[in-house]
Parts: sequence; structure tokens; C-alpha cells
Amino acid sequence: MSVAAKRKFADEDAAVFDRELDELPQDLRWREWMGRIEAVLFASATPVGRDDLARVVGHGVSVEILIDDIQAELSGRPYELAQVAGGWMFRTRTQFADAIKAAADLGDQALAFTEMEMGVLCAIAYHQPIDRAGLKDIFGKEVSRDLLARLRYKDLIASGPRSPRPGAPHTFVTTETFLVTFDLQTLRDLPELDLGVGNADEATQTVQV
Amino acid sequence: MTYQSTTISNDLDTLPKLPSWVTSGRAETLETVAFRSGAALTVLDQLVSDQRHGVPVKLLANRLALSAATATSKLEGRLAREADIRDAYHLTPSGEARGPDGDLLAFWREGARLRAGGAGETADFVDADFAGEVDVWLDAGLERARTHGPLAGCVAVLRFVLEADDRAERVACLLSDIVLARALNWKIVLPITAQHLTKTALRDLVAEGQEAELVAQTRILESIEEKIRLARDLARRAEALRAVAPKLRSKGSDAAVDLFLAEAAVAPASMLSPHVQGTTIPMTDRAARRFCDRLVELGVAKELTGRPTFRLYGIAP
Repeated sequence: MSVAAKRKFADEDAAVFDRELDELPQDLRWREWMGRIEAVLFASATPVGRDDLARVVGHGVSVEILIDDIQAELSGRPYELAQVAGGWMFRTRTQFADAIKAAADLGDQALAFTEMEMGVLCAIAYHQPIDRAGLKDIFGKEVSRDLLARLRYKDLIASGPRSPRPGAPHTFVTTETFLVTFDLQTLRDLPELDLGVGNADEATQTVQV
Repeated sequence: MTYQSTTISNDLDTLPKLPSWVTSGRAETLETVAFRSGAALTVLDQLVSDQRHGVPVKLLANRLALSAATATSKLEGRLAREADIRDAYHLTPSGEARGPDGDLLAFWREGARLRAGGAGETADFVDADFAGEVDVWLDAGLERARTHGPLAGCVAVLRFVLEADDRAERVACLLSDIVLARALNWKIVLPITAQHLTKTALRDLVAEGQEAELVAQTRILESIEEKIRLARDLARRAEALRAVAPKLRSKGSDAAVDLFLAEAAVAPASMLSPHVQGTTIPMTDRAARRFCDRLVELGVAKELTGRPTFRLYGIAP
């Protein structure tokens, strides 16, 4: 190992974990880094961001290029390395959904929705941040706290800013899990709607300055 | 108790402004735009860089972050209004999700704080698919700015980003602002580019064409001219606030005044109390409310929302 590399070693307190792998030849290092990224993604139940992945490979090495190489190897496999919600994750390809369902008793599907749940989720996605009063305006009836609690339990929605109404109710916003579940990169991937209508009643709340 | 209201002085003569022979004509060619932008940027640069003019630069940057957030929300098709965005940012309890509107303002506020010269820092911040290319684009944009003028550099960077991802409008506009800040050697990034750009203008820019370049440059120039007026206005408002500051002898008022000189919107309940934000100086809820009310009575601040509760105060228009 070169002197410079040793110094780097000591400086970073990296004795426990060798990111750089200086002693390996270039192609084996690359292989090892690919393996590490694959392992981290495989072990994680949620998408892993670029910063976290960068921590297991050498300094300044492009995570994107490593991932491209992994993806190239995965073509033709029944699972893929997908980019979702600002990170990457493994998932099975949709064409095998039936096979998975046939083989395994998936029990109570955590993500099965009633029509009303789906409606409320859509309303929140498009109008976030929105509070219960705002949802009532959209649906013409109270949206039950139970329903909202179920969506929150599934981690599809979370508390957002306080609504500037009496009582300061919490608003609801969608979460990263929401994006992952519906295979969206960002909220912009939601189908386009004409949002101009919903804003009419809010105009009275605030004076534009 | 009433206080004598302070009139905001109108020292139009001492602050740099654009001569009328620059603003009167309509821009028709890249040459006239380059010429006018040279004049405009010189004036804006004087206002921002020379402390003697008293422009509260942090406040200007934060105010522009809000405008840029509103503009990019429109470019991204969410159409959130300025007041919605400001509320989403300021009314989110700490640790909870801000939602897309609040996140957008946070993006611009943090973007404005990226030191204009910091290499690598910007790439880390952008953190998207093209983080690796950011520094290359910025260098190319700066090179273009050196040979063809700052606005050409801005538009070049807009084009690089949008060609890589036509939905990365906010990143494109931020990188353009960074090129402008670096070209002018500013310590702070002023979010200027986004405000007058339209979806069509950006789409045409990617589809190439001399015409599109001219449109984009003209839009950015309009925004720069508007920012000169805003900077002058903020300088006057800041001066009025500084003039009454010695009269405000409540505990922590100096720190609170500093906050008003840095923030476009101040929420008394969360930003002044229990501690003045960014300091350890304590202020009670009641003192915070009284302080804001007093600034309004003195005519140096305004309540921004028109609501009886969840009020936000600021000296920015």
C-alpha cells in the first residue's frame, strides 16, 4: 500500500471499513463495489439514496455508473434495480405478479385500498397540504379519522404544515412510500389534472402581498 | 400608546438606478439585450456588493427565493401561489413533512446559500441523476459568460440541464443563477432566472433556435431590471427599520431587528419566541407579538397574510 493511501486510511478512521480497496486491481475493485451496492440494496426494504450508496464505494466514484453496470447484468432477470423517490431499490418485474400471487399466500394485502381510501389518497396527492376541512370540501362529507389513520399507518401520508384555520389542524402530505408504491419519481409523475378549480375557495384565506 | 409613524425616505437620488436610455427601448436583437443587460447588471452589482447602499442582501435573497419558488411551481405544473408556499414553509412544525410547496421554497432558500464559488458543493446539493455533470455544466456556462456575456452563460446552462432532463426546471434555473453569481463575483446566489421564464420559452430553448435564446435572455433581463427596483425598495425599507431600531428598547429587539433584515417573513410565534431564531436570546410570546405590532405601528413592517391568526410579518413588499 502506498504512503498516501496509508495516510488516507488513518485520516478517515476507516480501519473498520475499506472503501478504496487500493490493493485490488482496477477491475476487481469495480466488481467489489458493484457487489457492495447490490448487497446494500438487497438488504434494504426501502429505497437507498445516492449519498448512502456512495459511502460503500471509493471516494468520487460514480454511483450512477456502477448502477448502470449492475442494471446491464440484470437484463433478463425477473427482478430489476429500479430508481424510485430519489433512491434505488430491487423489485420484481410486474409481469411476474401473477406468479408471485399464485405461489404465495400474501394474506391481507397491506396495500389493498377501498375506493374511498384511494379517492382520499388522490385528493391529498393533488391538493397537498390539505386538512380534513379541505377534504370535506372536495368529497362533500366528512372524511373519517379512521380512514386517514389507516393511510397514515400504511405510511402513505404524513402530517404536513399547520393549516392557518382556527384550531390549527394538521394537514396531510404524501410520503416517499407513496411515491414508491405507485412507482413515481416525483409528484410530477401524477397524471395531469386541471387544478385551477380547487383553489377558488382558498383565495379568501390570504391577501396576496 | 401610539408612536409617531416613520415615513420611508425616498432617496431616489442616492441609490444607483438604471438610466432611462437603457430602459426605454425594446430589445430586439441579442446585441441590444447584451448591451442593456450590461448596464442592468452593473447597477444591480453595485447595489448588492457595496454595503454603503444599505441593501439587506440576505433579505433580498430570501425574498427572491420565494419568487423563484412560485415561478418554478408554475413551471412544474403545480401552480401553488406565493402565499401557499410561504405558509407551507413557515407553518410546518419542525421535524414534520413540509409537503411539495414547502420543500420547493426550502430548495430555493438553501440554493441561495450555496456559496457562489464552492466547487462540488453545488453538485452535492442538486443530488439528482446528473450530479456528476453539474460542475462541467457550470464551467461551460461560465466560459460562455466570459466570451458572450453573463446572460448567454445563464441560457447555456439552462439548455444543458433541460437537454439532460426537460423536467428539471428548478435545477436549471438555480444553476443559471449560480453562473450569474459567479460571473459577477457575488458571495451569495440571487434567484433571478426563474421568475419571468415560461414553459414555452424553456421548451423552445431545448428545441434550439436563435429566437428562443433571445426570448430567454430578454426574460432574464426583465427579471434583473425588476430586481434593481426591488433592491432599491428594500434598501429604503431597511433604512427605515434601522432608523427606528434605537427606539425599540425591548429585550432582544436588536436580534429581532436583525431577523427582520434577513427574512422576508417572520412568524412571531415560532421565529421570535421562545428564542429569537439563530440566537439564544429569549423572548416571550407576548413580547414577540408586541414587538411585531409595534413595528407595524411605526410603519416599518407589514402583516403579510391578512389573517387574524398565524400571522406573518415582514418588511419586504
